[in-house]
Amino acid sequence: MTKEDVNGTVVELSGETCYDNNAIEERETAEAGGACQAVPGPEIEKPAPYAGMPKEVLLLYSGQARYRLPREIIFWLAIVTSLMLAGATVAIIVVSPKCLNWWQSSPFTSSGKHNFLSLCFSSGIQTKLSYFEYLNVKSISIGSIYKSSSNDFGYEVEDFREVDEVFGTMEDFENLLAAMHDKGLKLVMDFIPNHTSDKHVWFQMSRNRTGKFTEYYVWHDCHHYNGSTTPPNNWLTVYGDSAWDYDAIRGQCYYHQFGKGQPDLNYHSYHVQEEMIEVLKFWLQKGVDGFRVDAVKFLLEADHFRDEPQVDVMQRPENISSYSELHHDYTTTQLGLHDILHNWRNVLDEYSREPGKYRSMFTDSFDDNKIATTMLYYGSSRIKEADFPFNFYLTRLKNQLYSRNVFELVDLWMANMPQGHWPNWMVGNQNVYRVMSWAGQDYINVINMLLLTLPGTPATYYGEEIGMDNINLNSGNAEDPGKLVSNLARSPMQWSSDDNAGFSKSNRTWVPVHSEYRSVNVQMQKNDSGSTLAVFRALALLREKELPLHRGWMCYVYNDSNVFAYARELDGFKRAYLIILNFGQGTSTDLQSKIPGLPKMMHIRLSTRAENNGQMVKTSAIGTARGEGLVLEYHPEWLFHRLNRYEKQCFISDRACYLSMLDILYKTC
Amino acid sequence: MENNERRKEYDQQDRHCDRNQDMCSSTDGVNGTALQRKVSLISGICMIVGTMIGSGIFISPKAVLFHTGAVGPCIGVWVLCGIVSTLGALCYAELGTMITKSGGEYSYLLEAFGPVPAFLYAWTSVVVLKPACCAIISLSFAEYSAAPFYPSCEPPIFIIKCLAIAAFFLLVIINSLSVKMASNVQILFTGAKLLIVVIIAIAGGILLAKGNTQNFSNAFHGSKTSLGAFSLACYNGLWAYDGWNQLNYITEELKNPYRNLPLAIIIGIPLVTVSYVLVNIAYFTVMTPVELLQSPAVAMTFGDRVLHPLSWIVPVFVSFSTFGAANGCCFAAGRLILVSGREGHMIKILSYINVKRLTPSPAIIFNGVISIIYMMPADIETLINYFSFAVWLSYGATVLSLIVMRFTRKDMKRPVQVPIIIPIVVLLMSIYLVFAPIIDEPSWEYLYCMIFIMSGLILYVPFVYYSFSWAQRIIKPLTLHLQLLMEIVPVENKEE
Repeated sequence: MTKEDVNGTVVELSGETCYDNNAIEERETAEAGGACQAVPGPEIEKPAPYAGMPKEVLLLYSGQARYRLPREIIFWLAIVTSLMLAGATVAIIVVSPKCLNWWQSSPFTSSGKHNFLSLCFSSGIQTKLSYFEYLNVKSISIGSIYKSSSNDFGYEVEDFREVDEVFGTMEDFENLLAAMHDKGLKLVMDFIPNHTSDKHVWFQMSRNRTGKFTEYYVWHDCHHYNGSTTPPNNWLTVYGDSAWDYDAIRGQCYYHQFGKGQPDLNYHSYHVQEEMIEVLKFWLQKGVDGFRVDAVKFLLEADHFRDEPQVDVMQRPENISSYSELHHDYTTTQLGLHDILHNWRNVLDEYSREPGKYRSMFTDSFDDNKIATTMLYYGSSRIKEADFPFNFYLTRLKNQLYSRNVFELVDLWMANMPQGHWPNWMVGNQNVYRVMSWAGQDYINVINMLLLTLPGTPATYYGEEIGMDNINLNSGNAEDPGKLVSNLARSPMQWSSDDNAGFSKSNRTWVPVHSEYRSVNVQMQKNDSGSTLAVFRALALLREKELPLHRGWMCYVYNDSNVFAYARELDGFKRAYLIILNFGQGTSTDLQSKIPGLPKMMHIRLSTRAENNGQMVKTSAIGTARGEGLVLEYHPEWLFHRLNRYEKQCFISDRACYLSMLDILYKTC
Repeated sequence: MENNERRKEYDQQDRHCDRNQDMCSSTDGVNGTALQRKVSLISGICMIVGTMIGSGIFISPKAVLFHTGAVGPCIGVWVLCGIVSTLGALCYAELGTMITKSGGEYSYLLEAFGPVPAFLYAWTSVVVLKPACCAIISLSFAEYSAAPFYPSCEPPIFIIKCLAIAAFFLLVIINSLSVKMASNVQILFTGAKLLIVVIIAIAGGILLAKGNTQNFSNAFHGSKTSLGAFSLACYNGLWAYDGWNQLNYITEELKNPYRNLPLAIIIGIPLVTVSYVLVNIAYFTVMTPVELLQSPAVAMTFGDRVLHPLSWIVPVFVSFSTFGAANGCCFAAGRLILVSGREGHMIKILSYINVKRLTPSPAIIFNGVISIIYMMPADIETLINYFSFAVWLSYGATVLSLIVMRFTRKDMKRPVQVPIIIPIVVLLMSIYLVFAPIIDEPSWEYLYCMIFIMSGLILYVPFVYYSFSWAQRIIKPLTLHLQLLMEIVPVENKEE
């Protein structure tokens, strides 16, 4: 049996080998005993191995190569396997791309603060918040809720550390924040650093030239005689009148970029910068997740106070009465502005270290045709600034809603955005007309589809997801009729067909409820699979679920006067999407002939017309009705961004590829 | 060489055994093959502390606060749970010194109620509870190790599974190679865990001294007064203390168990209680109750607020802590399997030990394989949650066995004897804890769990009670070859 005689153990075997173990089952003990008896003396051949053999018998055989080798092999295999598994883990961690943060992964909703907030603060928080869960929206911007003289909807802040009593108390705010965090929702607050109310205690102290407050505002000597003031220079407010106003108490003029009651803070003062950082910290400590920094380009003014150059040099200076008649070289985007933003970013970063607590910053600055100026808010490759500056360019669609314009506006941002940054898209906001008012029922869904399928964060304005319209100026009475024009898009959220659209139980609301709230409201649309709300929700779900849609490539595929088409794809992912949006008239598009090699048939994953969902279309004749948008799903055999021809037409923020076998993303591709 | 070393060990053992004649007659001689008494008092304490303090106190000490609603009662509940665990452990100290067999509950149930309840316990524990528990601890180790690399999202599932399996592989290898090494690993990682507890407690103490007491000023404001909420708080708190019975699984390997078992319990559990209370107080010096409830990882939040720029040590030590707990689980589970195999309630080969290394490698590998299988599916935790009532069922049954044996086995030597009121209190507590989650959220799954436990009987009758010969025909040659392959032999009973 064996070749080797294990160091003469045979001799060593004695009666002791016969072991007896109580614990072992009797039957087996008997056998073991039997085996023992078979080996009574030293002179007998060594015993055969048997189940339950003791050490002495075992050692006779276990050294044989047929047992020793597999044993060694298995042992080393186990060690190698565990090292390999550990190595694989490390390797995957190293090649993993940065994961998407909360402000990237979910659509962003701005809620006019008077809308569900006044309700959230007091009661019904849970129901209103679960609406966001229903919509699959996790980031909510709540607007300004600071204690303010409410002439301009909270933008005249009297105290940065108080909640206006219209909304409730600080405790109410804390409860709201806690309730939102419990549901995984993030709260983004407005930060209004440019100016305060003239009723703010800082302004009162500054008027009296009290200590450090003396330099808190932008003061300048000016000539005041008999009730008429000669301003120190030609600077204008955004409304077109002189930006300077005389203050009798101090005997100087103060500068205000906006209304008369909104004096600008002086950011050349170190104390002001410190003070505003303290304000940020105050809210960060409360747990606020981010800030929308309002009117950021106006923060600094040139300290030489020279006249701004006229657009039309021939115009007589005294006739200038509109903001657009000057080049605002000395009142906007001044040197040092970005340093202030860096400091704020650093403060936010300090508070971002805790797990799951990234604090973000978004800037609100519309630089019109100087888009490069807007892009500066992304920061440089070394210094990070805003997570994104809001992209207002799509609001231009109001005047020109046609396909090529959509393409151009999308491309305007994509082509100018520095590489590696994250885009965002906004069509509606509180300062412009409701999308419904200019796009109409025909196009509202396709616009929502555009927002939710472009790469980057869709930023929507409350009510657009159900297609709310402007209110009729002549109906109802608001608190402040003089400002009604700006309230067009600020009417209460239309929750249901109940009185006041289920928004408030009081008889009157801040801004009147839209007259058609009984036909356009959340409650009704929730039950209608073809409603604007249903389309929005389906898009938001699809965007979250499908990797190519939320972090893949976007490639422009085609556009003409009726349709705009782009692809969303990700290396290694078995599905890709072709989005084709109709902003013109009903048409049939032949993509097959324009893009050879495109799959012949595609599956309609989602249409703005629910009845088309799930159908197959021929890519040689993709029919889209007026205002219809299609998300077509296909299994790509090749990818657009891999082709030279499309190199310049493809974008991705953070390059990543997908490995379906392990369900991981990796960046080394 | 080897023999000489072993002799030395035996000699040492002899010295111990002078006092405990019947425990280990140490007449094993040269051919003796048995698990060695290698677990000292220190490693015994580490076994208890290291298993009790897993990751719960660092990640989610929330449930207690959530159910109590205020800081004061929250800390009160932590203390109370510590006391209850101590009482439970005292009962186990009596049992452990009375029946000096490894295997914990299994051995006591066997002694008091006979083989059927013991088999059902072993069946449930060996097949579900212990390996699933090991699996969960390893998975959380992997999660905490990977989390810092994925700051704003969940790490991919694949790497969590991969790392968990790698870690458990390593633990199985260590535990199969050497008992000494395994208990050193336990000491090392328990040390690390206590270090971070001490760091957090000291930091909290300093902040307290600096006057960060605003959260304690109104410590009872907002507390919930209902009995239901209170009992749920206790229920959740006791989970953080689970593991106090750990040393009873390895009594046979404990040096001088009559002294060390009770001593380790008396030192270990109050140590954990004090740690828990101090850590909780430290948390409240920098976090409001709401912040604590909303933090995804409480100790990390604490670290970032207090220890910055050294805050990275918290995640590092938390993963150490979970690794240590996984080791404790692996160690103890192996012993339970060994003992039930020895009694014929599991396949016999599971009770064998390695000839050269004197480790219960078949049991450890068996547990390792099942644990790793449990790590594979997506969500093991939901399954184990439903089995949680079975844990308290076994504690209750064990304490009942203590009470029963006070009457049926009056003559047994009881080096430690607790007042009868203690087991009665613990028994009532366990009855409550078995039913609390079921009443709180009744679900069919509990019934399925019960059916699963009872299904053990279907196996018991043919395989254990009648021991079918055809089964033996398969097992015998398998045993033979596995024995030779793994160099494992049956344990020689020292008491003979």
